[in-house]
Amino acid sequence: MAVPRILDSLRRAATEAGGALLGRLQHVRLPGVGQSSSADDPETAARRWRAVTVLRSPEQIGTGADLPAPLAALGDRVEVRVTPAPGDRGAELAARYRDLPSDDDLRALRSALREAKQLIEVGEVLRVDPAPHGTRKATPQGAVLEGATARAGGEGVL
Amino acid sequence: MRAATWTGVNEVSVETVPDPTILNDHDVILKVSRTTTCGSDLHLLGGYIPFMRAGDVLGHEFMGEVVEVGRGVRDRRIGDRVVVNSFIACGKCWYCTQELYSLCDNGNPNPGITEALWGQSPGGCFGYSHAMGGWAGSHAEYIRVPYADVGAFVVPEGVSDERALFASDAVSTGWMGADLAGTKPGDVVAVWGAGGVGQMAARAAMLLGAERVYVIDRLPERLAQVREHVGAEAIDYSRTDVLAELREVTGGRGPDVCIEAVGMEAHSLGVQGAYDQVKQQLRLQTDRPSAVREAILACRKGGSVFVLGVYAQMVDKFPLGALMNKGLTVRGAQVHGQRYMPRILDHMARGELTTEHLATHVMPLEDAARGYRVFKDKADGCVRSVFLPNG
Repeated sequence: MAVPRILDSLRRAATEAGGALLGRLQHVRLPGVGQSSSADDPETAARRWRAVTVLRSPEQIGTGADLPAPLAALGDRVEVRVTPAPGDRGAELAARYRDLPSDDDLRALRSALREAKQLIEVGEVLRVDPAPHGTRKATPQGAVLEGATARAGGEGVL
Repeated sequence: MRAATWTGVNEVSVETVPDPTILNDHDVILKVSRTTTCGSDLHLLGGYIPFMRAGDVLGHEFMGEVVEVGRGVRDRRIGDRVVVNSFIACGKCWYCTQELYSLCDNGNPNPGITEALWGQSPGGCFGYSHAMGGWAGSHAEYIRVPYADVGAFVVPEGVSDERALFASDAVSTGWMGADLAGTKPGDVVAVWGAGGVGQMAARAAMLLGAERVYVIDRLPERLAQVREHVGAEAIDYSRTDVLAELREVTGGRGPDVCIEAVGMEAHSLGVQGAYDQVKQQLRLQTDRPSAVREAILACRKGGSVFVLGVYAQMVDKFPLGALMNKGLTVRGAQVHGQRYMPRILDHMARGELTTEHLATHVMPLEDAARGYRVFKDKADGCVRSVFLPNG
């Protein structure tokens, strides 16, 4: 195998590792890091309702096929719950899978909820790419961060 | 276009990068006239916030001329001379309606990183790493400004570019600290750090009615600016016991409001300085909090401490006992600038807020590496380096 191909493989591995690392970060149980108090087993965690609060009345959120497109696209695999949020904060839009989801499924659901909220509140999904940038040196750290960033819209504690 | 980019720890280059384009309906493209270094950039430069990629465009404090508008933009027009807040906020979510703009739910496209670190994600910031959204920064000939109707403010005719630039972040951050710390007429206010933000926090406190304002630093040229341009008292912590001095000038009470405008790379003297440096370099703490510690210890009972300096994660030897037993209110935030910029521009137009003195080093964008070097080293009396991307 030529050296460039080896380097390319290593870079892809580092990028993949970055994405995986971000996915695992939310399960870290160190004091002072985001989720240190969580005691859920992985299956319970995967089955939880995931929710965003949207500054609209529940009636303005929609149901079924009228839900914002990213959420409606998940179809019958997810159940959706819309309830009023306390204190004039709008509506709590929650969803969870009917079956046991994979990590990829959960990323898709997080992204869909965030995009649905943006579509309802702002009318469009904010895009950052392509952002102007200079030369990206091919470093392991850069590849790890690229992987983490690529998944960041679908990761997090949601 | 030409842009100043982060290329590695303490390395800045100026290179040719693609022009920005409108990607969302609420965007404008700005031709950048002035853009400045900020102390918080140094945390990125030094690798203390490890979410920068080589090639990222730096800069978050800027102004310029609108040259292109998205079809959803209602209030901004081509040709408008605007100053833009450093944080990107939608104006529509609950946080924005509460005027907590830096907490916008819809400004950071990479929430997975900051949620994992902090439990929730704040909004996005121009040129401030992929953790804060991966937005290209302002040290460039052009910049894309999302949600432009919310974050870009037309500069009144009587306010010069030299003055208006700092409404973008230094003044709005300082004003927020003084305001949200609850500064009221008659208060004694102490500010840690005499950089751009600290000086403007002090000036804001005076405009909000504080009776006496003290600013703490060690750099003679910055302390001189505090006296000459801000009109506050200056305390040199390298020559004075700050806690004793503040007790003495407040009748033993301590300041009513303490504003920290230093951040995670705080310089301090003696054992504390060495301790924090060693622990940070060994990654046993991410941030050096000496100014916050001192602010908490200095503050009067029942007083208020506001953390304006940027911190990333965890600190050691935090005086929680003093905070609790003295009944302090401690608050912090990235800048909710959209809340304050109209008022700030009015003060600037009336000559009550002057900022020109902060721009000690003005230079072409091509000199950005030198500009950051002199700014980081605090050499040649540098308070801020300002770049002129379009001459």
